[in-house]
Amino acid sequence: MDHSTSKSCTNANHDDKSLLHWTQWQLLDSVLPTGGFPHSFGLESALQSNLIKQPEDLKPFIIQVLDNTGSLLLPFVHTLNKSPDTETWTCLDNLLEATLTNEIARKASATQGSALLRVAASVFREITELKLIRERFIGSGLVFFHHACVFGLLTGLLGFDGRMAQRAYIFMTMRDVLSAATRLNVVGPIAASVLQHEIASAAEGIVEKWRDRNVEDACQTNPLLDTVQGCHAYLFSRLFCS
Amino acid sequence: MAETETTSGVVTVEKVRGRSTITRCFFKYPLKLILPKKVGSSQVDAVWIYALSYGGGIVSGDQISCKISVGDGCTASVTTQASTKVYKSVDSKCSEQVLEAIIGNEAFLVLIPDPVTCFSTARYSQKQNFRIFSGSNLVVVDWITSGRYQSGERWDFTSYKSTNCIYLDNDRPIFIDSVLLEQSLVCDIAERMQCYQVIAMVILLGPKLKNLQNQIKEEVKKMMTVKLRPPTTNFGRYAKSEAQHDRFVPDLIASCSTFGPQGIGSVIRVTATTTEAVYAFLRTHLSSLEMFLGAPPYCQSGI
Repeated sequence: MDHSTSKSCTNANHDDKSLLHWTQWQLLDSVLPTGGFPHSFGLESALQSNLIKQPEDLKPFIIQVLDNTGSLLLPFVHTLNKSPDTETWTCLDNLLEATLTNEIARKASATQGSALLRVAASVFREITELKLIRERFIGSGLVFFHHACVFGLLTGLLGFDGRMAQRAYIFMTMRDVLSAATRLNVVGPIAASVLQHEIASAAEGIVEKWRDRNVEDACQTNPLLDTVQGCHAYLFSRLFCS
Repeated sequence: MAETETTSGVVTVEKVRGRSTITRCFFKYPLKLILPKKVGSSQVDAVWIYALSYGGGIVSGDQISCKISVGDGCTASVTTQASTKVYKSVDSKCSEQVLEAIIGNEAFLVLIPDPVTCFSTARYSQKQNFRIFSGSNLVVVDWITSGRYQSGERWDFTSYKSTNCIYLDNDRPIFIDSVLLEQSLVCDIAERMQCYQVIAMVILLGPKLKNLQNQIKEEVKKMMTVKLRPPTTNFGRYAKSEAQHDRFVPDLIASCSTFGPQGIGSVIRVTATTTEAVYAFLRTHLSSLEMFLGAPPYCQSGI
């Protein structure tokens, strides 16, 4: 897919495609300063409710979180990746604000999305829309900068294809939950890496199942985890924001 | 709100001589509506509507659509006589219920049904759309049990989907929630729900419910704070400590979130190991609705 603006010779097109790989890897690298991983996706709350009693419980938990991410958020990533324009973004961002009925998850999404847009606007300077959007809407109260929407918009403007963008979103979620799990001492870093590899097949299945859907079909598939994640604010001592 | 051939029920509530009055009530199979006159105290201005299904349940392929209109200043309560049973799916047909409700200014709609219970292999979908204005008030209880769990049927249905949407001033979405419980290769429903047999959602919205929202928020926080404790430091990395395994999961978990512009609404999610626990939760926390309805919700139910 050629999304370059001005290059015309074959070599340059080839370079653009190669450069896209570097951009993709940078976006997925945990080194990207998008906020320091303060979110556990309900893991901390699940631990304190004793829903996760032993390390073996972590794998089904992560798979369920990914499945719920797929069903609820991939439609937003997909639609904005396809139509990365301001009008679609403001409309879907407001719709996601209404859809994230869990206050904990909603605030986490807005925080992560703001951080992502801020970094992206600084890093991908050639995409002037990012800076313009940020300047136009920040502090306006008109949008909430939800993460899935910013991610979809960003990948659309960067030229990722839809399947790659949706797979990346699931990958990032998996990466972040595993990171939270090691910090919460559920598993060690090597065990987490083993799990990451073991879950890859299920994660790909989740992407296949939920990709390319309309936002009207967005739904949550795990009300138990939703209820538990909503308890995060009641935790007396906590490491994470959500 | 266009009516079509498939509309199963229509109820219109308006002020007549200063009192909430049902000015139109239409229903046809498979829906039946009963409008008892003396549910609550006559001092309180509210109408009660009981929605029933023939045979006590929804049969595979049934399509039920209902429209309710609550006029300015009126109060209406919609409930059921017993849990709504959804019978097994025949030929993979899905049963469906759709509710369209319009709630006027300073009007109050209270939806307090018994839970839905889907039997083994059932396929069921329900959609509830609420159109409100800034002065409208709304209580919605939407809940489901795992099945005839005492007989061992736990989360054994094929598919359940419940969608609740609230639109402010006709077209602005402020609450869009869709729960899908479907058997899947990723994870079957029973595994997802662990030991919990009931899932409930309570929506409270509007100026008349401000106090109740604050009250429930505090009560839920107080209740849950004692149930949640960090695991012992030996979790995971070392030998499993007996203490960790002796900790039971809470019988009931609840959490409360606000939603909407200026936080006009609250949604409480509850999950429990028994239906009785959720009835008790609803009875306790919604008891103050008696002043609006003339009778407290769920006092005759589930006992």
